[in-house]
Amino acid sequence: MTTDTAAISVRGLRRRYGAGDDAFEAVRGVDLAVPAGTISALLGTNGAGKTSTLEVIEGLHRPSRGSVRVLGLDPVADRRAVRRRTGVLLQQSGFPGDLTVAETLQMWAGTVTGARPVAESLVRVRMDHRADTRVRSLSGGEQRRLDLACALTGDPDVVLLDEPTTGLDPESRRDVWNLIRGLRGRGATVLLTTHYLEEAEALADRVDIMHEGRIVRSGTPAEISGDHPSTIRFETPVEALPDRLPARGVAADGGHTVIETDDLQHTLTALLGWAERHDVRLADLEARTATLESVFLDIAEGALR
Amino acid sequence: MTALSLARTTGLARYNALLLSRNKMAMLYGVVLPLAPLALLLSTPEGSGAAAIATTLTMAALFPVYYNVLSQFVNRRDELVLKRLRTGETSDAELLVSIALPGVALALAVMLVTVPVAVALGEPAPLNPMVYTVTGLVTMVLFTAFAFWTAAWTRNAEAAQLTSGPIILLAVLGQMSVAFPERVQRWVDLTPGAAMADLIRTGWFGFGEPGTERTLDFADTWAAAAQPLVVLVAWTALAIWLAARSMHWEPRT
Repeated sequence: MTTDTAAISVRGLRRRYGAGDDAFEAVRGVDLAVPAGTISALLGTNGAGKTSTLEVIEGLHRPSRGSVRVLGLDPVADRRAVRRRTGVLLQQSGFPGDLTVAETLQMWAGTVTGARPVAESLVRVRMDHRADTRVRSLSGGEQRRLDLACALTGDPDVVLLDEPTTGLDPESRRDVWNLIRGLRGRGATVLLTTHYLEEAEALADRVDIMHEGRIVRSGTPAEISGDHPSTIRFETPVEALPDRLPARGVAADGGHTVIETDDLQHTLTALLGWAERHDVRLADLEARTATLESVFLDIAEGALR
Repeated sequence: MTALSLARTTGLARYNALLLSRNKMAMLYGVVLPLAPLALLLSTPEGSGAAAIATTLTMAALFPVYYNVLSQFVNRRDELVLKRLRTGETSDAELLVSIALPGVALALAVMLVTVPVAVALGEPAPLNPMVYTVTGLVTMVLFTAFAFWTAAWTRNAEAAQLTSGPIILLAVLGQMSVAFPERVQRWVDLTPGAAMADLIRTGWFGFGEPGTERTLDFADTWAAAAQPLVVLVAWTALAIWLAARSMHWEPRT
């Protein structure tokens, strides 16, 4: 497979729950293309439709409309062939509480073609010291790591991770990030969902931001934040601001003024020059370039559609 | 759902058996309840243990198989274990068979143990062991399918105590056939429980209808077994059809 082909492609995906008046459309026409050998993050608030989208890619549900191809195959119709090459971590899943960690991994490995040795999988997620502990007594984070070890047992070509680090402490989160980077390092394709912005920023080659069942922004983290204005914020002074400030817009936010600009340095210079000349004190002054976070928050607040 | 991988199915079944063995209550239901009716043989006159043996078979179908498979399926479904396994290579058929196997194996072991115990307590050996074996196998498939169908409309593991009622009644009804007036009896005889009891009376004991005397020889047992076997197989086909069209892998909300 060449690296410029999409390992996962989704076209016009819609997913509807229920029927009649109670019907709810969680996914409303999603297009996605995840190039082989890359990490993509599907970012969105709770209820944006990330998990609903991922479950169709995983082959657990059929799309109401549209099509999904994983490695060129239909995840429902070609289930057997697809599953051999994919590893899945569900947002919520379970293992029988009465089995030990090692037993759980053995059970799982028994279902996987070409499974890694259990001992190796345990070390990989730093769970070797918990091998004989019953799953019931694991912490949420430990269960998550066990689940991840299962997902990666068959060294899959495509890895689908639904909120892989939710519930993990910061140290385990870094471990998991390194693990995910390692997957890309050996040529696997990773699609993950997250609502942690720093996670998307730290890991993903590409980010798709989802809101209310649609993808509203796509690109590299830099592209996405680059398209977005920088902001300058300060306590609104008594003096009126100059009329011809080079900016996209000026707005009031409580007792503060917020200026949006595409050229932060230029706008800031003009503002500070004016303040200096007129001896104006700009209290609480704050200037920041757009980050994935500010884009995301704007979308979540419905400012961007 | 295509061919089963034997290794994958038995591998999963092994862990289901391990889980069953770690659940004291399920083991009590699965082993003690089906063996208990054999104690009746101690108090019945020699050679008239057909009812006790039919009850043993019914209990084996109801507890290690029906109730156990039902509660295992509902538990695993609600714990999202089934959903998790379905993201992997395991096929739906492999998943279902692996859940059923430990209980079915227990039930078949009970049926096997029943033979020497019954003989030791003065009952005759099975006249036609093939009929006994086939009865056992078809019965276990039937009650496995009933379990998966019941699971589809069972909200959670506690609810299984109620939702299992109708099938348990259906199974036990056949045992009480004689207590009903003749008009009703004709219909009761078409229940799976009655067919099972019939097959024990003819296949094991060689009783001709409706007596308790051995009037059949080995060759006769085949013909006598045909009608109740057809009843049992028809129920099995119905149960499989019901189960297949109502499969739910994720918790009921």
